[in-house]
Parts: sequence; C-alpha cells; structure tokens
Amino acid sequence: MSDLDRAIELLKDCKIVPEEQVRDICLRAQELLIEERNIEVVDTPVTICGDIHGQFHDLITLFEHGGQCPDTNYLFLGDFVDRGFYSLESFLLLLCLKVRYPDRITLIRGNHESRQITTVYGFYDECIRKYGSANVWRSCCDVFDYLALGALVGGSGGVFCVHGGLSPAVDKLDQIRLIDRKQEVPHEGAMCDLLWSDPDDIEGWGVSPRGAGYLFGGDKVKEFNHENDISLIARAHQLVMEGYKEMFDGEIVTVWSAPNYCYRCGNVAAILTIDDGLGRTYEIFEAAPQESKGMPAKKPAADYFL
Amino acid sequence: MDTSIPNEELYPIAVLIDELKHEDVTLRLNAIHRLSTIALALGPERTRTELIPFLEDSIDDEDEVLTVLAEELGKFVPYVGGETFAGVEELLVREKAVESLNTVCAEMSQEQAEEHFMPLIRRLTTAEWFTNKVSVTGLYAVVYEKVGEEKKAELRQLYGQLVYDDAPMVRRAAATHLTGLVPHIEREVVVTEIVPLFMFLAQDDQDSVRLLTVDILIAIAGVLGAERVREQLFGQLKKLFSDKSWRVRYMVADHFEALAVAVAAGDEAVLMEGFVPALVKLLKDSEAEVRTVIAKQIPGFCQLIDAETVIQEIMPGVEELVNDQSQHVRAALATKISGLAPILGKEETINYLLPMFLLMLKDEFPEVRLNIICKLEQVNQVIGIDLLSQSLLPAITQLAQDKQWRVRLAIIEYIPLLASQLGVEFFDTKLRDLCMEWLRDSVYSIREAASENLRNLTKVFGVEWAQATIIPKVMEAGENPNYLYRMTSIAAATTLAGEVTVDVIKNSIVPFLDGMVNDPIPNIRFTVARSYESVTLLAKEKAADDEERGAVATMIEEVVKPSLEKLKTDEDVDVRFYADKSLKAIG
Repeated sequence: MSDLDRAIELLKDCKIVPEEQVRDICLRAQELLIEERNIEVVDTPVTICGDIHGQFHDLITLFEHGGQCPDTNYLFLGDFVDRGFYSLESFLLLLCLKVRYPDRITLIRGNHESRQITTVYGFYDECIRKYGSANVWRSCCDVFDYLALGALVGGSGGVFCVHGGLSPAVDKLDQIRLIDRKQEVPHEGAMCDLLWSDPDDIEGWGVSPRGAGYLFGGDKVKEFNHENDISLIARAHQLVMEGYKEMFDGEIVTVWSAPNYCYRCGNVAAILTIDDGLGRTYEIFEAAPQESKGMPAKKPAADYFL
Repeated sequence: MDTSIPNEELYPIAVLIDELKHEDVTLRLNAIHRLSTIALALGPERTRTELIPFLEDSIDDEDEVLTVLAEELGKFVPYVGGETFAGVEELLVREKAVESLNTVCAEMSQEQAEEHFMPLIRRLTTAEWFTNKVSVTGLYAVVYEKVGEEKKAELRQLYGQLVYDDAPMVRRAAATHLTGLVPHIEREVVVTEIVPLFMFLAQDDQDSVRLLTVDILIAIAGVLGAERVREQLFGQLKKLFSDKSWRVRYMVADHFEALAVAVAAGDEAVLMEGFVPALVKLLKDSEAEVRTVIAKQIPGFCQLIDAETVIQEIMPGVEELVNDQSQHVRAALATKISGLAPILGKEETINYLLPMFLLMLKDEFPEVRLNIICKLEQVNQVIGIDLLSQSLLPAITQLAQDKQWRVRLAIIEYIPLLASQLGVEFFDTKLRDLCMEWLRDSVYSIREAASENLRNLTKVFGVEWAQATIIPKVMEAGENPNYLYRMTSIAAATTLAGEVTVDVIKNSIVPFLDGMVNDPIPNIRFTVARSYESVTLLAKEKAADDEERGAVATMIEEVVKPSLEKLKTDEDVDVRFYADKSLKAIG
C-alpha cells in the first residue's frame, strides 16, 4: 500500500494525517491542478456534488449513496471547507482522492476556497486547533489557488459546472478560459462572479445581497446556454431544502450536498448523476445518524493535549 | 547511600532518582514503571528504609503519576503497603491503591494479616477524613478471609461503623462493598449482624445508598437461602419496589428476575402476591428508564410463574408497553418479547403475541422493527413457519422496501437468517425477487449489501441453487444501461465466486467478465480488471485435484491473461493500472 493509499484510509476514518504528509499531498495536488484548464473537460458518466462544508460524515454518506471513488466518477462544485467540524478531513480526503485518481474525480473552486473567507468561517481555526500552527492551512490555501473555476461535462450540448453562477463580464466560455486563475479570489470581476453569483427570478442582472457577485435572471441563463451550446448549468452555493432545485425550464440546477446544513437546518442533500446520454438522475440523502458523527465536545481539549 | 554498594550498581538507581524528580511528567511515569526492578536490586531492607521514604516524599505529585505509583506498589508485595495513597482525594488513585493493598493482603499469612493489616484497617476506618473510610471498605473482603474468629468479629464491628457513618459517600462505599463481603460471612452471623446493616441501609435517606441494597439483598439470599430471606427481608423489599426515587426502582426493575429467584424461589404465594403485582406496577412506572429495564425482565420472570397468570395479570401491561410513548421502551420490549412464545404455547402466542408483533413491525422507530425480526426464530419454533410467514411476511417485505435506506440495509442483513429459518421453497417464492431488486437499488450501499447477501444465501442454499436461480439474474443486470448497475453486477458475480465451484467460475463468471472487457465506460473496464484478479485467485485456491488445476490454468492462459493484456493497453490510466496489478498478482 502506498503512502497515499494509507493516507486515504486514515482520512476515511476521520483521522488527521501528519503535517509533513499534508504538505506533500498539497504539493502533488498543485502539480496536478496546474495542468488543468480553467474550465476542465470532464467525460460522462459523472456524479455532480454540491457544497460539503466540512460535514465529513455526510461526505462519507454521500459516497455510500453514490458509490466509492474510483468506481464512480465525481465532480465536486467547491465549498469543501468551513462551517462543519471536519473541514480539514473532508478537504484532504477529496484532495487525496484527486491525487490518487486524477481522472475519476474533479474538484472546482468555491467561494469558501479562499484565504479571506476561511479565516472567518472556521477552516483556519480548525487547522490551528488540530495542528497547533497555520502551516497546514497555508498549504491548503495554496492548493485553492490552483483549483479550476468550472467544468464542462459531456462536450457540446453538455453541462457547464460552476460554483456560483454567471458573470456580466462573461458571455462565452472562452472568456473564462482566459482568466489567470492562480490568485486569491478577487473582490470583483469575472472570477469573483463565477464563484459568488446566484440565479433569481428577475430579468437581466441584479445586485447580490451577498456583497459580491450578481443576481442573474432566466433570460441570461438561456442566452448563455444558447451561445455556448450547453443544455444545463449545474451550480451549488445556495442551500436548497429539497437537495436540488431546477430553474428556468430546467436550464440551471442548484445541487446541495450538505444534509442538515450546519447540523441544524433540517434539509436533505442531493447528488446529480449525468449519464452517457446526458440524462439526469438525482439521488437524495439525509444526514448521517448522530451517533456515528462523534460530534466534538463543546469544550475543546486543553491545549497541552494537542 | 550505602557505601558498600559498588558504584556501577548505584548508577541506574541514581538515574532513576533523577528521573523521579524530573520536570517532565512522562519521564516520571516511566521511572515509576521501573520501580519494581529497582526494588529488586535494592533488596527488601533498603527498599523499606530508602526507597519508600523517598516515594512518600513524592506523594505530592500530580494525580496521573500517583495513579501509576499506586498501581506499581502492589507489585512489590513483600516490601511495602500503599496506605498513604488510600487517603488521597482523587478517586482513581485510591482505587489503584486499594487494588494494590488487596494484592498485598492476598499474599499474607494469617499471622501477618492480623499483625500488619488489621492496624491499617483500624486506622483507616477510624480516620477523620472520609476518603480513607471510603477506600477501606474495599479492603475488608480480602482481609476477612485471612484472619481468625476474634479478628473477624472485630472487622464486622468496624464495618458496622462505616455503614452507620455520617457521610453518605462512606455509606455508599460501605453498601457497595458489603455485597462482596457477605459471601465470606458465616450464615448465622449474617442473620444477627448483616441483616440489621441491610435494614439500616435500605432505609437510608439517600437514594444513591438505597439503590445499592438490591445487590446486597441478592448476596444475602445467596448465603441464607430464599426461605430465611423471605421471613426477614421481604417487607423491606416491598418498600424498595415502590420506592419514591426512580433510581431505586430502576435497580429493582433491572434485577427483578434475580430478586424473584433469590427471594421467592419455591414459594408460589410470594410470587403471586408479592412479585406479580410489583411487576405490573413497574410496567406502568412513570419513568421510561424503569419501563425499559423491566421490559427486558419480562420473559425471564414469566418462566417462574404459570402461563395462566402471565395471560391474566401480565399481558395487559405488556400490551400497553407495545404502544409506549418512549421508543427505547418499545425497542427493549422488542428484543425480549419473543421469549414469551415458548412460555405461552402455540395457541396463546397466536392470540396474544402475534398481534403485538405485527404492531411492532409497523413501529415508526426502525430499531423496534429490527429487534422483532432478529428474534423471530423463537416464535417460529412455537407457531411453525406457515403461520409465521402468512402473518409476518407482508410486514417484512414492507420494511424491505422502506424509503429509509438504512432500514433497508438493516433488513438485508437479516435475510440470510430469515432464509435459513424459512427454507428454500418459501424463499424462492416470496423473497428471492426482493433480493434481486436490491441489486438495482438507487443507493450504492444497498447494492453492495445485496451482493454480499447473495453470497450468504449461497452459503445457506448451496451452489446448485445459486447457479440455477441467482447467477442468471446477476448476469442480466450486467446489461443495464447505467454503468453503476453494471458495476454492481460485476461486484455480485465476484462476491459469489467465493462460494461457488471452480466449474461455475470457469464456465459462468469468467465468460461474463470477459463480455464486459470492451465496455465503453472506463470504470467498468477497470472493475473487470480488478475482478479478474480476485476471481482467478479464488479459482486457484479452490482447485482440488489435477483436473481442476488444469482447467484453471487453461482458463488463465486462454481467457484471463489475453483480456488483461488488452486492458493493459487501454487509453484510460486507471484501467491500465488495475490490469497491470491484476496481471502481476495472477503471475
């Protein structure tokens, strides 16, 4: 068994790997991801998954539902970290799988894959708590900068996958391909919008209440899909109580894969399988049972135990 | 230090002493672990005069260190006792110290025990601080065995003092350890001296003390026999049955069967008048925790009384528990209720239990349903398979199609058990299609469990059955347009290979795999590559004689290897990886 396979086994048991090995995995992931295009081309069949947000045990449930990697092909739409208790284990597991089976799993960037956001929403603190220093957080953030911004599943007439949505600065996929993505997510511009925007029942463009990105209407979705010869935009970024929600005559779908979001929202989660004929199958799943989660105690262990 | 000892012998001791004083806790801990070696090196004399005083100095250390120290001291039996530790505040330290002292005491002769250990007991028992008294309760049982009559009387008298102590912590400890002490005490003395202690504790105003008396009562009954206990203590026990604290009632309920055996054995009247009403009352207890434990005692207790009473008196209470508002009560009942079937007999089981089963099989809480299903064998033995299947099968099939996948998963695990209980004919007509359906379940884990299930069924029903009924169905699933289902069919075929003959592997499974080598989806192709490895190795392992070994060899050369060689040049890197790995494994 290689070191990598061992790390995967370890992570599947929700155990952390040594700092040195994390660094090594991150460097190997960067080497791999730097070769990927801004819009990675992915073959069908593939199973598309939305936000994970550090809910490790629910990620394991996701694999129990959809099948294990590498048997099933996966595409994750970003937001692996923050908010849940196990951002580190969740992200590293996905990253290890990426390094081990690069053709079987695709990771794209979400708005939480950024230095600024992770320092506020939990990932940074989790790294400090689990390793006592920010080194691991730093290595992970370096990987974030290399993640693709989107993916195109199934060639022409296929599915465009992105974390947030459209940007007024982008009419054609080729414009995305020109972005220099290897940077912290900027506060404005096409790269920011792709990771932050949301669809809404409006005409044209609107101001996003999030303070970044835009709201975009059905007309913009249809224009974009027609212009770029795609049949569907698959995105995540917004909590959907039913797990997924198609809008605008099924031309855009929000897929959400964190059941009982933040351990309290009571929502179900979904994954979307695109088969070789571009047919869509949604699979709904609930949160892992409480007892298997090993919820960390309210009071964190005193520092000298770590 | 003694100058007569050469320097080189002193050196390790000096290191140890350094380490014992070291700032790092782990170093101190390690040093303590080596104490017995040092004690051996020093000899008994110097251990007593030098090492022990030194250790006594270090008693101000952290609790963790003291715990280990107390534990180690037990190992230097002849040299020392851990008396000082018995008074430390931290519970863990005291427990280890008591353990060590008991080890020491067990090694002593009567004379030594009377001379050295008795004073220790006296000192600790009459100490001012409660921790000493709490610790000493754990020492009595061992020393009592060792000493003579006179000292025994003194020990009992001292123990009495502990029982009557003002501090509830001491009374609690005394009550806990009285259970262990009672069996060592002579019958007559128990009546005159221990029974009053019991009566006193049973009326304690602290419920945490009263609840401990249940165990003492059982221990006393072990010495005195049921009849004497009945005479003397039944009145008190009745009070415990309806104690105002639920924790006491919980203890009583938890030990109900044992109490009935201890107190009422052989006396019909006491059972009927004392215990049956008490049980009925506990079944209706206001606390769900009490109802949960008493539910588990029902069949055990009902064995002691006749079926008529069970039906008349107890069943109404049981019927209420079936609809109890707490799921834990219902789940507890579900694990035990089938135990009533042999007691009630066939007819009454059908009249009373079957309706309850049906109700519980529809319970909204899956654990209740599962607990019923996994205990069905007992019912089967009483009412026979025909009746059981008629009434229960619909409920089982309903569960098997539950929309909660975890429920389906749990049911699958019981299918082989059910199958062996129900027999092949019944299974084929009623359950087989269900098992096949699971292979097409939308949840991967269910599909995976379904493959494993087919393998277990093959174990139950045999290879021929599998070949005739299961394998063709599995291969059919290999033509599903969805690659995930095709993958399941490969997995199922591979799992089945573990249970079938070489012939089936060669003529059914390998050709089936071979048909999928050109699948358009790379995931299928590398699954086939992996599957070749395990199937071929299994065939090699199973080949029993030359003829079979020859057949396997031809299969490898003519089918498996060419296919794998082809996969090794696949355009997909994972397919190439697994094909190469399998080729190397097959050799």
